[in-house]
Amino acid sequence: MKVLAFSHSMDLALELVSAGRELGDVSLLVTSDQEGRINEVKGAKEVLLCKGLDSGDQEGLVELISGLASDYEVVLLASDRRGRELVGQVAHRLGASSAVDVSSLSVEDGKLVVERMTFGGKAIAVEEMSLPAVISVQKGKFKPPEEGEPSVREVSAPSIERRVEVIERKEKPKVGVPLDKAEIVVAVGRGFRKKEDLKLAYELADVLGGVVGATRPVAADLKWMEEEVWIGISGVRIAPKLLIVVGASGQQQFAAGIMDSKVVVAVNTDSKAPIFEQADYGVVMDLYEFLPVLTKKLKEIKGG
Amino acid sequence: MDIAVLVKQSLDVQELRVDQDTGKIYIEDAPTKAGDIELNATEEAVRLKEKLGGKAIAIMLSTGGASGKRQKEAREALTRVLAMGLDGAVLIMGEGAEKGDTYVIAKALAEEIRDKFGLVLAAEGSEDNFSGLLPARLAAELGWPYVAYATAIEVEGDHVKVTRSLEDFEEVVRVKFPAVISVTQEINKPRVPKLVEIVKAKKKPLDQKDFSPPVEPKLTIRELKVPKVERKQIVIEGDVEEAAEKLIQALKEEGVL
Repeated sequence: MKVLAFSHSMDLALELVSAGRELGDVSLLVTSDQEGRINEVKGAKEVLLCKGLDSGDQEGLVELISGLASDYEVVLLASDRRGRELVGQVAHRLGASSAVDVSSLSVEDGKLVVERMTFGGKAIAVEEMSLPAVISVQKGKFKPPEEGEPSVREVSAPSIERRVEVIERKEKPKVGVPLDKAEIVVAVGRGFRKKEDLKLAYELADVLGGVVGATRPVAADLKWMEEEVWIGISGVRIAPKLLIVVGASGQQQFAAGIMDSKVVVAVNTDSKAPIFEQADYGVVMDLYEFLPVLTKKLKEIKGG
Repeated sequence: MDIAVLVKQSLDVQELRVDQDTGKIYIEDAPTKAGDIELNATEEAVRLKEKLGGKAIAIMLSTGGASGKRQKEAREALTRVLAMGLDGAVLIMGEGAEKGDTYVIAKALAEEIRDKFGLVLAAEGSEDNFSGLLPARLAAELGWPYVAYATAIEVEGDHVKVTRSLEDFEEVVRVKFPAVISVTQEINKPRVPKLVEIVKAKKKPLDQKDFSPPVEPKLTIRELKVPKVERKQIVIEGDVEEAAEKLIQALKEEGVL
């Protein structure tokens, strides 16, 4: 199978090359703003360099990828927001099948078979896709290949009338270690009565060398924390070594975002909260009593 | 100009029961509802329709089959968004709709939307599947521009200014009508309808149509599996001091401290 791959993020693009190699030869599309990192691309058959298009131009990308795709059976994109935005548009232009956020892909009896999470993490759908297919690949599932120099071929940019005009772009404030890369995460929920009380979570995270994330109500409704630290299916999906969930009930949208965590601890006053079913260790206690003691004891160990 | 709001009859995943041991997923038993983010799309449509001077209509193409239960639930979901201030609803339902993938559904919805609406609002993802594919496909089918992940929408004459939230930055784009826009939960706080509004909503026009797939699907679901998430579920007992010590001990043994 011939595979065309593209991501706005060069790091994710390298993962796509690896995913694509499960199916066949991979051509990676690289836009003008990514040209500086072209020598990091290993394992692809070729790099298609488009010097006339910036990755910020979504309409241009739909046009370019749809045009190039006629030579390929599979188009792989990343599962970040802009990647997912492209999937449906490119697929429909091609009359292709589509799937997002797939965790595995294989060919069985000439059929493309993918797996992806559905029902808020309660099920995995195994889907048979007709060809051509446009797929976005779940982040972090494939390691970038380390060897194999691709050839480079230039492709020309499409000329189309743009109907969406980007008038402003504002960098979001950086939140330190991104949640999806953190080894230790303390996740806070509605059990905290006011914003100032979150310091109990920050103190715990500090002594563990971890970062603090939040459930949707804390991040989006109460606006106590930045949206970037919202854990869940429409927020960030995390995979730390240790996750301590404090004062969160464990709604399905949140649960789906923490499934890949290695060890999960839950602290909640309500022994019937669903979070305890999603945890390895449960502490049925008032976080206001438990956290200060836990933090103090951890400090003693780490200090001595 | 009229606005179409896409409302999906989603499984209520919170209520969906799965059996870890047998791998059975009780789909038929689970209730369905309009997705939470679709309430945000509805709220935004109600706000925008005053500025655009037209109607806002909910459109639902149900893929839940045509059983009496699902039909009742679909109408309830639509009553909910009508009570928030939409002017009418279209419900498209029928046998065979269960097999429809996003390719089929987008084709069918486009027939309902083309020539009738100038703006389509949708959720960035549905409650139960969260792929976000449908609005993107619909835009492509209609030949309209698509802007996803809106956190603010302002009407400015013959175009809209949309603020959208991406991972590393926020982007403000200007897009001309007609257009398809998907929204996130941050865009607004959906109003909670009063009882009188719910009563009135039941009298608003709800146009039910039969669905017959216009094309064959491109994708089939071979199997639904229950993921094996094996958590130890150990409850740490004792007073505060003991519990903290036991937890630390356990985490040391896990090798995560």
